[in-house]
Amino acid sequence: MTTCRSCLVFLIVLIAGPAAGQAVVVASQQGARLTRIEGEAVTASFTVPASPAVVAADGRGRLYVSHPDGRAVSVIEPDGAVRRLPLPAQAFGLAVEPDGSRLYVGDWSGHRVLCLSLPTGAVAGEIPVGPDPASLVLGEPGRLYVAEREGRSVGVIDMGALRRVGGLPVGDGPFALAYDPDLARLYVANVRSNDVTVIDAAAGQVLATIPVGTAPYGVAVVSGGGPVLVTNQHAASVSVIEARALSVSATIPVGRYPEGVAILGGFAYVANWFSDDVSVIDLAARKEVRRLPVAEGPRTLAVARIAPAEAAR
Amino acid sequence: MVRLPRRVLPALFLAFAAGTALAHGPTPQKIAQTVTIKASPDAVWKVVGDFGGIASWHPDVAKAEATGGNAEGATRKVTLKSGGALVEGLDEWKGPEWTYSYRMSDPDLTALPVSSYSATLTVTPDGDGSRVEWMGRFYRGDTGNEPPDNLSDEAGREAMNRYFGNGLKGLKAKVEGGRTP
Repeated sequence: MTTCRSCLVFLIVLIAGPAAGQAVVVASQQGARLTRIEGEAVTASFTVPASPAVVAADGRGRLYVSHPDGRAVSVIEPDGAVRRLPLPAQAFGLAVEPDGSRLYVGDWSGHRVLCLSLPTGAVAGEIPVGPDPASLVLGEPGRLYVAEREGRSVGVIDMGALRRVGGLPVGDGPFALAYDPDLARLYVANVRSNDVTVIDAAAGQVLATIPVGTAPYGVAVVSGGGPVLVTNQHAASVSVIEARALSVSATIPVGRYPEGVAILGGFAYVANWFSDDVSVIDLAARKEVRRLPVAEGPRTLAVARIAPAEAAR
Repeated sequence: MVRLPRRVLPALFLAFAAGTALAHGPTPQKIAQTVTIKASPDAVWKVVGDFGGIASWHPDVAKAEATGGNAEGATRKVTLKSGGALVEGLDEWKGPEWTYSYRMSDPDLTALPVSSYSATLTVTPDGDGSRVEWMGRFYRGDTGNEPPDNLSDEAGREAMNRYFGNGLKGLKAKVEGGRTP
């Protein structure tokens, strides 16, 4: 009996616990720190160069952080070593190839996306895009999407040709993007029109425009048609969109000025910029279960692999 | 030769600068000011809760022209005594909870040296009286990498905190004024 019970506990941990070897990392801009969260707890935090805005991760345990006011991107190795890549750009949005071979960097005031070869950081290409590139996200193989905040559009980039090959019309002030590879669907949070544009990426067509709360500023999706979580920056809440029904099923109160959101292992994590904490949301229960204090000004999050060397320490 | 009045020149420069900084920049800044008032939340809300009524309590405001009442999407054009006007749109208004949220529609660097902001004003009970919090988020006037001193993060913080602080002092004086001899 006891053996069975411990089996059951073990199974439950496997199902509900954090994905093995992965963690969520949150970047605090004013505090210049990255904080690692596993499950419902903070497990590590470390200092990075000043004013980190966006954090991204490759599949090999390496982290990338943009510094719009520092004209640079930082690369954080699995062993914690930080390397600065100076850039002639106001680096903001980031997307990295899972194999760590290339990093795409949005140049906010330069209205372009730079493609950097890794690990050198050499600029391999420069892609003119619409005004004020905000979030970047990888789409179907060879496709990169960029939210063109002042263009009411999402730019479509051919990563082979390193060229913008088209634009998709969206709402007013597109800022955040999420991509569901299983459905080939793109979700776009429009900060000024207070809605989310849902795009069939394969067809290049808008499927729906869904009203959410005020100033939607972050979006994440459980791939395979799972729920879509949208932070409403001015309403201090998260809207949950059902991907199949294309409608909002719940609105969850969180901290003040929520920005980025990431999903891992049954939880969603929300960076509350003003209240300097991270809301942990139980996806099944659709409610906040924890509020974790972090360094000042948390803005963005990434799901990162904990490198084996680090996990073994 | 047409001579521009001297005071027009800085305004022209600022208007040009605004054009390059229309969009949000990448480093947001916090503003937070609070005040306690010796009056009930209902009494305070009666004065501060009307989105278009800011001229009645904010000492820096010359006049406010409002449309749409307190419905979502309402607007107010707030003309400052020091010059310039803030055009703001109401995002959310919750009378029973004594709170409203709004955001700037168009930047006017002559009014405040910021390129965009959003803010929330909330009244809560505090002992026998009330506490009013006015908090928000803004981007500096020049969101490029080398902002001039007058359009920097620091200049924005100074101006926004002064504007919010003066407003709350004015609100306190107006609400308490009727009750003190």
